[in-house]
Amino acid sequence: MTAVSTSTAARMPYRLSGAGVAARGLAYLGLGVVLFLPWFTTDFSKTCSLAVIYALMGLSLNIVVGYTGQLSLGHQGFLGLGALVTANVVFKANLPIWLAMTLGVLAAMAVALVLGLVALRITGLYLSLITLVFGSAITSSLFALATFTDNNSGVKIQRPSYLADNGDWYLVCVAVLLAVFYLDYRLTISKVGRALLALKENERVAEAFGIGVTSYKLIAFALSGAIAGLAGGLYAFRGELYSEKDFQDPNGFTLALLFVVMCVVGGLGNRLGVVVAGLFFGLINELLDDFFYAGWVKPWMHHVPFLSSYYDSDVKASYLASLIGALLLLQTLIFNRGGLGAQLRPLSRWMTGHRFELHDESDAGIAAVEGSSVRA
Amino acid sequence: MILALNAQQQLGQPLVLGIIEGSVYGLIALGLVLLYKSNRIFNFAQAEFGTIAALTAYFAYNGKLFGIPWHMPWLVAVLVGIVLGTLSAVLTERLVIRPLFRQPKVILVVGTVGVLLASIAVEYLVFPTQDTASLPSVTDVGLKDPAFRVGFAAYNVSWEQVLTLVVLIAMALGAVAFFRYSRQGTAILAVSQEPTAAATVGISIGRVSLLTWTLAGFLGSVAGIVSIGGAPLLVPGIMTGTTLVGGITAAVLGGVTSMPGAFLGGLLVGLVHQYTSAFFSFPGAQNVAVGLVLLVVLLAFPKGLLGSET
Repeated sequence: MTAVSTSTAARMPYRLSGAGVAARGLAYLGLGVVLFLPWFTTDFSKTCSLAVIYALMGLSLNIVVGYTGQLSLGHQGFLGLGALVTANVVFKANLPIWLAMTLGVLAAMAVALVLGLVALRITGLYLSLITLVFGSAITSSLFALATFTDNNSGVKIQRPSYLADNGDWYLVCVAVLLAVFYLDYRLTISKVGRALLALKENERVAEAFGIGVTSYKLIAFALSGAIAGLAGGLYAFRGELYSEKDFQDPNGFTLALLFVVMCVVGGLGNRLGVVVAGLFFGLINELLDDFFYAGWVKPWMHHVPFLSSYYDSDVKASYLASLIGALLLLQTLIFNRGGLGAQLRPLSRWMTGHRFELHDESDAGIAAVEGSSVRA
Repeated sequence: MILALNAQQQLGQPLVLGIIEGSVYGLIALGLVLLYKSNRIFNFAQAEFGTIAALTAYFAYNGKLFGIPWHMPWLVAVLVGIVLGTLSAVLTERLVIRPLFRQPKVILVVGTVGVLLASIAVEYLVFPTQDTASLPSVTDVGLKDPAFRVGFAAYNVSWEQVLTLVVLIAMALGAVAFFRYSRQGTAILAVSQEPTAAATVGISIGRVSLLTWTLAGFLGSVAGIVSIGGAPLLVPGIMTGTTLVGGITAAVLGGVTSMPGAFLGGLLVGLVHQYTSAFFSFPGAQNVAVGLVLLVVLLAFPKGLLGSET
C-alpha cells in the first residue's frame, strides 16, 4: 500500500506557486521582448526574417524527416515554388498579398502531393535520391522558364505600403512561425500525428492496426509542402524579388543539405529544437560576416593562418557557417542523438508549467507514443 | 567552316559525348556501389574525395600552399593527390562511420552529408581560391601536342576523355575481379550479408570496413583526377556539383549492388544527358530527363536494371 501511495504522491500534479507563475510569466515576457527587438532595426530585421523563414523550413522538413522518417533532399524545391508562384501572381495579376501567398501554398502543396505519391511506392534511401533529383530538376527547369523570371531579370514585387518596413515584415514572419508552431503542436497530439509516428516506427504494424498508410503519408507530404510554400511566399516578399538563382544548384543543393542539418541538429521530431536550430543557422551566415568585417577583428584576423583566406575569397562566410554546421551535425549524431531539443527539454518543460528537472523520466515525449494509440 | 550536321552526326555526336560524360558518372557510381555493398549506405561525400585529390594535385603541381611553392613533377603531384583523397576517405571511416556503425542507416547517410559539408568548408580554408585555375591535363604534360585530338569518326575527342573511359573500364573490371576472386572481396560481401556470422568465422569487421572505404576513396580520387584534369575551373565542391547526382543516379539505375550495373548506369545517364540537350532546349531539360528515367526505372524495376544480389 505504501508503495502505491508514494507512487501516487510522486505522480501528483505539480502545482505552481504564485512565484512560479510570476517567474514563468517573466520568462515569456523576456522571450517576447527578445523576439520583438529586431523590429527596431532595418537591416538586421531583414536578416532575422530569413532566420525565421529557415525555422519554418525546419518545421516543414521535420514533418517528413522527423515524424514519418523519410529523408528528403529536395525541400528547396518547395520553398522556391512558393516564392515563384507568390511573386509571379503578384507581378502579373496584381492580386492582394494574402491571396498570392495562399496560391503559393497551394502550388507547393500540390507538387508535394505528387512527390508523396512517389513515396508510397519508393521508400528509404531510394526516396531520398528521388527527392534529390526532384529538387535539382524542378529548380533548373521550371524555375528558369523565361515567363516566370520576367525574361531572366528576376521578378520584382513590392509589399503593400502598410508592410513596407522590414521590421514590420519581420513581425509578420514571426507571427506565421508562431502559428505554424502551434499548428504543428496540435498535429502531434492529434490522431494524424500519432498515426505518422506509428508509420515511422513500423509501417506494417501500423497498417495492421488499421492506419491508412496511403492517406497519412500523403497528408504528411502535403502539410510539409504547404509550410514550405508559405515560407517561400514570405521569402519572396522579404527580398521583394524572386530570382531563380537562389534555389538552383549549387545554392539549392547547399540549402537542401542545410535544412537536413537543421533538423538533425535540432533533434529529429522535436519542433522546439528544430526551430532554434533554424534560427541559429539563419543568423550565423550574416553574423559571421559582420564579425569578420568588424573594425576590431579585421586587422589581426588577417594574420591567422587559415581564417585569413576569408578575406581573399568572394565566398564569404557561407563556408565557415557550413563548417560549423557540419561539425555540429557530426557531434549531434555521434555524441548527442537527441539534438538541441533534448538539451532544451528541461527548460521547455519548465516553461510549460512543470518542475525544472535536468533528468526527467516522466515521458520521453512524442517518441513514446505507440501504434496502438491511433484509431483508424 | 560551317558544319552542316547530317543525320549520322546528329545522332552520333551525343553518343560519343554521352559515353565520355557517362564514364565519369560510372566511376563515381563504382565507388558508391562498393560502399553500398559493404555498408548499405549512399556516401554523399564520394565525389568530394575526387575534389580533394584534384585540388591537392593542382597545388602540388604548380601552386603555392602554406607559403611553399611545391612544383612537383606532374606524375608525383597526381599520386600525392590520389593518396590524399584516399586518406580523406580513411579519415571519414575512422572518425564518422566507425562510431556510427550500429546506428540506423539513415543516420550513417546523414553522417556522410556532414562529411561532405565539412570537406567543402575545409577545402575553402586550406586552398587559397583566388589563384585556383585548372589542373593541367594529361594531354598537356604527357602527350606532346595538347591540340592533338583523336580523330574518331570526325568527332572531337581528347585523349583525356579516352583515358577516362579506359580508366573506367579498367576499374570496373578490377572491381568485378576483386569481388569474385580475392579473399578480401569475399570478406566484404560476407560482412555485408551477415556481420555476426562473418565475425564468427574470423573476419575483422573493422578492417573490412576500413578496406572498403580506402578502395572507395581511391576510386573517387581517380575519378576526380581524370575528370577534372584540363577542366577550365577548379573550385572546392566542384566534383560534388558536377557529378554527384549523376553518379548516384547511375548507381541506382544499375541496381545499387552491381558493379557492371554501375558502369551501365553511368553510360545511360551520360547518354540521356547528351541526347536531351541535343534535341530539347528548354532550361534544365537534362535534369528533368534523368529524373524521369530514374522514376520510370525505379517504378518498373525497384531493384534497378542489373540488381540481383540483395
